[in-house]
Amino acid sequence: MRLGFNFTLGDTYDMVQRLIAERHIDYCEFLIDNFFCVDPNELAKAFDCPIGLHIMYSKFLEADRPMLVDFAARLRDYIDALNPIYVSDHILRFSHEGRAFFHLGEIDYSAEYEFVRDRVLQWQEIVGQRIHFENYPSIMDGGREAPAFFERLMKETGAGVLFDASNAVCSNRNCGTPFEAWRNVIAGAQHFHVAGYRNSLIEPFISLDTHAEALAPDTLAFLENFRSVFDKPGATMTYERDDQIEFDDIVADLKLLRNLFGEPEERRHDLALSA
Amino acid sequence: MSPVLCANYPTDHKAFVRIDVSLRIYWHTLFDICPELLELSGPDGMSIFRPFMAWAGEKKLAFDWSYYLWVYVWLRQSPFKDRLLADDKYLRSIMAASAARWAILDRGRDCGIVIGCADTKNLVIGWKCRSVRLGREIELIEPEEPLPAPPDIFGYFTLQSFELDIFPGWQSLAR
Repeated sequence: MRLGFNFTLGDTYDMVQRLIAERHIDYCEFLIDNFFCVDPNELAKAFDCPIGLHIMYSKFLEADRPMLVDFAARLRDYIDALNPIYVSDHILRFSHEGRAFFHLGEIDYSAEYEFVRDRVLQWQEIVGQRIHFENYPSIMDGGREAPAFFERLMKETGAGVLFDASNAVCSNRNCGTPFEAWRNVIAGAQHFHVAGYRNSLIEPFISLDTHAEALAPDTLAFLENFRSVFDKPGATMTYERDDQIEFDDIVADLKLLRNLFGEPEERRHDLALSA
Repeated sequence: MSPVLCANYPTDHKAFVRIDVSLRIYWHTLFDICPELLELSGPDGMSIFRPFMAWAGEKKLAFDWSYYLWVYVWLRQSPFKDRLLADDKYLRSIMAASAARWAILDRGRDCGIVIGCADTKNLVIGWKCRSVRLGREIELIEPEEPLPAPPDIFGYFTLQSFELDIFPGWQSLAR
């Protein structure tokens, strides 16, 4: 399992360089549409490691085709320059009846499957690339339908799932989606996310995917129980931290992940050569 | 989106908490970024937040990058008007917040946005991230030769390069 860190804006540039230099991470994941005004060649030279590209605001479920074609044309410049390990996106609603959400809106898995499937096929065709779509940290009971939704989506579109382990933990805590229900999705996924979460301020508590805390014990237990399903040749796991960004805390979590999954195959080869 | 409608749900139900969590994001998006506004409202912000959200719902505002500017538009016709206009720090903070939100959310090809207001000659520019080592940048400009005032309270135009070298005229805010 290769470990990575999410790079969303320049203020963590030096820290990410240090994580790479000290070999706490093996690759870096750009939140790529934050950097659409940066020269692709500058991004390609930014970090001496493999790169993943994570899309935040394609809004491919809501945007019209000309907007998506324009977005994809710019994305393509970065794909060509950075030759990423993967390209990933979100299945989300960003607005309702013309009003923007300030949170990320979960879809209705049972009512919207066909619509989403067609949009996923269209979006992959426009980008010219297989895309890995991230699961949501469900709060309401509809989240129990997410595993079957993603399993079917993978089969019928050829898309991948960027499986966010801590989102599945939030979904388990909030609406009882069993971890076991995700087994086939995890087995079919090659790229993963993991992060901390916290409880809502008021009761009944719900778990929120905040990317601002240490990895929770139940997240680590989930990874440990399904370790052999997660780990596979070429697998990646991005540790996400968007707030409370402290180098030592991040390294402590990365070490837990390294201890759990061991050195990646490529790194073991490097170590053997240097020995 | 109305905080008042939240009261229709039992407080011990997950749906209430879900709505509360979503509404808090709107609250924090406003007051974490423009904490000066709490001087007007008091520490919980609710004397601004509740009536503004209800008004925004009635007006069917899009809640896009111009969110903060619409808060100013509402404040300007509220009981807070005199205190609001007595100190331009509120307007500066609000214009900067909207410029930053545009730079965060917009995925078009433009590099920057210029926001003007009928209540000031100053301009605020929001720039998208232009280098891997930088974040978004917000700039306050005090032009030697002021641009004409926007026809509405606020106007804006976008920039296709990282230079302020054009004035194509003001666009009005979309609702």
